[in-house]
Amino acid sequence: MNKNSIVDRTYYWIDQTARQQTLNLARLISRRNFLSRLGMMLAGAATFPLLPVSRSFAQESVPEIGNNQSCEYWRYCALGGTLCTCCGGTITSCPPGAEPSPISWVGTCRNPVDDRNYLISYNDCCGKSVCQRCGCHNTERDKPVYFPSNADSILWCFGVDHRTYHCTVAVVLGESSTDN
Amino acid sequence: MRVIIFTGLCLLLAASMANAQIQPQTMQPSETMDEPGKNWFMSVTRDAGYIFDASNGEMQGLISISGHTPAVQPSLARREFYAAASYYSRGVYGDRSDVLTIHDFENLSPVAEVKIPNKITSLDFRAYIGLLSDGKHVAVSNMTPAQSVTIVDVENRSFVGEISTPGCALILPVQNNDFMTLCGDGTLMLVEVDGNGSESNRSRTSKFFDVQDDPVYDRPVETAAGWLLVTNEGKAFNVSAAGNRVNVGNAWDIVTTEDAEENWRPGGKQLYSIHKRLGLLYISMHQGKQYTHYEPGTEVWVFSLATKKRIARIELAETPAETIMVTQEAEPLLLIADEEGKTHVYDALRFTHERTIEGPQADLFEDL
Repeated sequence: MNKNSIVDRTYYWIDQTARQQTLNLARLISRRNFLSRLGMMLAGAATFPLLPVSRSFAQESVPEIGNNQSCEYWRYCALGGTLCTCCGGTITSCPPGAEPSPISWVGTCRNPVDDRNYLISYNDCCGKSVCQRCGCHNTERDKPVYFPSNADSILWCFGVDHRTYHCTVAVVLGESSTDN
Repeated sequence: MRVIIFTGLCLLLAASMANAQIQPQTMQPSETMDEPGKNWFMSVTRDAGYIFDASNGEMQGLISISGHTPAVQPSLARREFYAAASYYSRGVYGDRSDVLTIHDFENLSPVAEVKIPNKITSLDFRAYIGLLSDGKHVAVSNMTPAQSVTIVDVENRSFVGEISTPGCALILPVQNNDFMTLCGDGTLMLVEVDGNGSESNRSRTSKFFDVQDDPVYDRPVETAAGWLLVTNEGKAFNVSAAGNRVNVGNAWDIVTTEDAEENWRPGGKQLYSIHKRLGLLYISMHQGKQYTHYEPGTEVWVFSLATKKRIARIELAETPAETIMVTQEAEPLLLIADEEGKTHVYDALRFTHERTIEGPQADLFEDL
């Protein structure tokens, strides 16, 4: 048996196996089943951007009113901490050199402009001394520390190099379905 | 002119002679702390634990803690204080190192430390640390944000291990070296700990409160037989462990229907305290709407735990109560920390104001 013969036989075996497998598959599942699975996959891919986190990026803009350096500003309704807007950061970004925590707690705040509820992610900025300006302790829908996702007392500097707390930002994740 | 110069020289001479008669003083050895006396307490702040005698308002000494220490756990039997601490090699950044620091009573100084996982919680909640009933093991709460408990053997000065408590936080020590922990699904979990500090069993109550509608405060307080949990809207539950199960008593009212009509609610930081032997509950109350659960109290209400009825109201119009504690003496004092950093001392049975201690701003009180 020479070298060419071995290669030919191998190709033949691959072809045979692929043909057999395809036939088996065709026998086992109907065309409708295949289409339904394909459809589900396509629908899933289409739905993925609708998840809350991604949806916030898709939203055009949130109608705004108020001074975001004031504790009274609407997005801060469940914020406990100091305001990054007073410390060299913005409403959605940390001050220079501070590391944003990827993990956060959430609150639901009513926007006075459109009278709708928005889901707010309060991300802590970490790794620097605490910025002792514009302290704020709002407690709307605040929960105890044994229910961390809605507890505004917890310092959320997790998943970052340093757990030291600097200040907090308030990012709109999307509209909330919560009433009242 | 000569007269003036002569008089001046005489005065100068007299002055230096007078100086020569005073023995120059030298620095004496530092004080050591006396045995904790009646009504001694610790004011725990962000950086230190200040020890006071509430009977006269005098400070006795201080222990240093890290800016990330949640609370200080004393052991009167072992004459030690335990403080979980978190340090960064460059202050607020650099390498993190978490330890359980052990301070002695005599010099209020660190005498040992045990290296523990770099996971401790860093908020000032009293129940983030607990001394288990054998007096040998200290439990420390972790959050990464996964929740767990670190067990340290303070007798052998060693780290024992970590117990996973998913969805549950806070440490409520009970008998048999066990502890309960509060869970976000409205239940309590009992973790049984053996003599070596390892978990031997765990069990859970059924749901007895709704964390969305009316959660119990994350400031549980020990009673003579267990713990008292109070909800934001003013319902109270007596809970205790018996063997391998937890008993949850029927809810009773701190806030009656009439009080609720006047919008009375509990509020503050460490907002209630219990005199165990006398069975008296002191709780900081204010008038406000829902979600005002941190609002300092304009009154302190006093309840009998035996009858579950209110027996007194103490009005505090000018100095709202943020954190309160009653000392455990037979003639107890009630300590009330206001928002301005003052501690007001009341006779806890006559409700009369005795004195005010200036500073520091107490986050928590600890009875000694």
